[in-house]
Amino acid sequence: MSMQTTALNVSYVKTIGIVNNGYNGRGFANPYDTAISQDGRIYVLNRCDPARASAIRVGVCNLDEDYLFEFGNGYGEGDGQLRLPVAMAFDRQDRLYITDEENHRVAIYSAEGAYLSQWGARGSGEGEFNGPAGVAIDAEDHVYVVDQHNHRVQKYSRDGQFLLQWGDEGRGPGEFNLPWGVCVDADGHVYVADWRNDRIQKFSATGDFIAAFGESGDGDGQFRRPSGVAVDSEGFIYVADWGNERVQVLGPDGSFQLKLRGQATLSKWADEFFAANPDEWETRLQADLTPELPAHLDTPYHISAQTEPYFWGPVSVTVDRDNRLYVAETNRHRFQVYQRS
Amino acid sequence: MGQTDLSLVAHLLRRAGFGATRDELETYASQSYEERVEELLHPDHAQAMPDDLIRRYHVDMSELRQVDAAGAYWIYRMITSSAPLEEKMALFWHGLFATGYTKLNQARALLNQIDMFRRHGLGRFDTLLLELSKDPAMLLWLDNNDNHKTAINENYGRELLELFSMGIGHYTEQDIKECARAFTGWTLKNAEYMAVRASKDSIWPYGRINWHFEYRDWDHDDGEKTFLGESGHFNGEDIIAIIVKQEATARFVSQRLFQFFAADEIDAAGEAVVESMMQTYFESDYEIRAVLRTLFNSDYFKSEPSRYARVKGPIELLVGALRLAGSYRKPTLGANQLMLQSFFMGQGPLVPPTVEGWHEGMEWIDSGALVERINFIAKELSDISQPGVRDMIAWLDAKHNGVLTPEQLVNGCLSLLGALDVDDETHAALLDFASADGELNLQNHQPGDAAEQRVGNMLRMIAATREYQLA
Repeated sequence: MSMQTTALNVSYVKTIGIVNNGYNGRGFANPYDTAISQDGRIYVLNRCDPARASAIRVGVCNLDEDYLFEFGNGYGEGDGQLRLPVAMAFDRQDRLYITDEENHRVAIYSAEGAYLSQWGARGSGEGEFNGPAGVAIDAEDHVYVVDQHNHRVQKYSRDGQFLLQWGDEGRGPGEFNLPWGVCVDADGHVYVADWRNDRIQKFSATGDFIAAFGESGDGDGQFRRPSGVAVDSEGFIYVADWGNERVQVLGPDGSFQLKLRGQATLSKWADEFFAANPDEWETRLQADLTPELPAHLDTPYHISAQTEPYFWGPVSVTVDRDNRLYVAETNRHRFQVYQRS
Repeated sequence: MGQTDLSLVAHLLRRAGFGATRDELETYASQSYEERVEELLHPDHAQAMPDDLIRRYHVDMSELRQVDAAGAYWIYRMITSSAPLEEKMALFWHGLFATGYTKLNQARALLNQIDMFRRHGLGRFDTLLLELSKDPAMLLWLDNNDNHKTAINENYGRELLELFSMGIGHYTEQDIKECARAFTGWTLKNAEYMAVRASKDSIWPYGRINWHFEYRDWDHDDGEKTFLGESGHFNGEDIIAIIVKQEATARFVSQRLFQFFAADEIDAAGEAVVESMMQTYFESDYEIRAVLRTLFNSDYFKSEPSRYARVKGPIELLVGALRLAGSYRKPTLGANQLMLQSFFMGQGPLVPPTVEGWHEGMEWIDSGALVERINFIAKELSDISQPGVRDMIAWLDAKHNGVLTPEQLVNGCLSLLGALDVDDETHAALLDFASADGELNLQNHQPGDAAEQRVGNMLRMIAATREYQLA
């Protein structure tokens, strides 16, 4: 099934993932973001719940669902360690930048997982953060970091030299309320998921306000706590409409194009689980996994909590060079892949 | 209103809530007692920590796969709710209709049950029992998913009568069987798949799938039944309609509410209040709100002997201390530990020991639990970095122009911890402690300095008193 309006078509490709209840190995633990390396490998940031925090890590797989490797330096405040990681981005040298909202810094790793460096400390000055969230890197390796509780965006060089900042707390143009995701388009424009203002804001590379898209609600083009944003090669804007448990696609001008509610199928790893657990498989075959719910559970969150194919906690959207869309689902420990054509 | 009235409001708030700060008490003092009762009984616009902030920060409280996350999520709500009686009622019903994580392995379903208690906990008892009978967590907890037209399972039917409404001695074994027959077909959606997952604690492949009610007409025994002397083709709704009109039910509900909100033991004077509550129960068409109104407005409840007549349950104790200290007012790393802390004190939310709930009153206190209780609240209330404690220090400074005698320090801190009354012996001991360092000078105090620490130490001492352990 695909959802289609006008010329834009976004087709479901596959689901990759399975819940990982342990401390390492195949599967994901509350994935919070994905990033694609230059050779097409898919990096998945496992935020991990408290029970698994000691094994906080990035898992790496490919589109063929091979689990390639994983890396992490443990839970904590030491060099390269993580506590509450939020987002990732690669620079042109395939160095991976990871934000951590509890450690208030950005850490850099090689594509093979070696810790390289980090910067940042808690505060509100230049080079300081209070809950860094989204991170994006432009074609010239400028690093944009959303500084959540300071309600601003900071721009750095690839090595962490502060360049500029913009934003303040508020609802007006260029103001933010606990912003989260960020991305950069091919022309260097910066898009910010202005989370608690329920909108996407578009800026120039120097932070000049250009436009704002969306308002509060669950209608087309409306958002409820958008957490992630990505732009493809033709300027279409993909929004992780987190509170509505869906993804919306806007045109380059911000006009509503289509929405996705999720249509997950069994991943290769899930298939293998059921092959080894036929009793669950037999009863699952009898089950209705897209049931009608009673009125008191008629919210996107509750619906997603018991409709397995739907997005549940679609926290980030990532688009690769081939206009494939990756939607990470925190609460389902997987990501769904779509293809724009 | 004077200090006496503050004490009365403080008493009400300890029982119908989780205590109150000095500022809250002074705000409430502008109302009459009866107005305050009505506001508590009508939690129409409850505010609490926003769900989106919790879910963004705590992935475990977004997914709600594990019970520590679910318990902490509820504790957040209890700490920050502007409608404490709504949460207190949810806690009451959770203790009475005790449903536990063990066996279910489905924390979200338990929180949905708590939500149901919020929606219906002050309403009609028949509505509440009906919702309880449709609650997926309860259905699986007491095996009603195995209660079939061709083979009944009596577990839910038995507990509905024994533990949830009338109490033992008011029905026969045959009534239990007939009750069970009436609830055949009441199950949860995808019951077979969900039962397998629950029994294996399976989270694969993509985490938990939450539950909701399903009525299977084809699995319902529609035959004639005789229940408590009445006959008909009863379904579950009919059974509940018969249950709620029994005098035994009125007594059961009134006694349990009395023991939770008024006193652990029912003496002769208390028995008269229980009988008034039973009368209200019938006059109001079984409305819990009305029954509670009768209790809270009774002379018995408001009297001096009623105060400090209950041992605080661990959750009440923990939540009350956190509300006073002001900690965890926003999403905080390690919040899931709160649920475990409460568990160590003897009452983990969502993990009652059995379907009978917790043994309350003096049974909350044993040597191990008492140490856990005192250590936790003393640590919270003496943490002078917490916003609520900082407010207390500022209040003491402002009220006494920065200089306090030892007696002012003691009395001020007792007042700040919810207009706490202590006996003469305790007061003398606190005064001795305060006097050891003489006058307290808070002028130009700085965060964490020795003067502030003296306030923290006094709060710590009061947290260890007998009176603070009581409600």
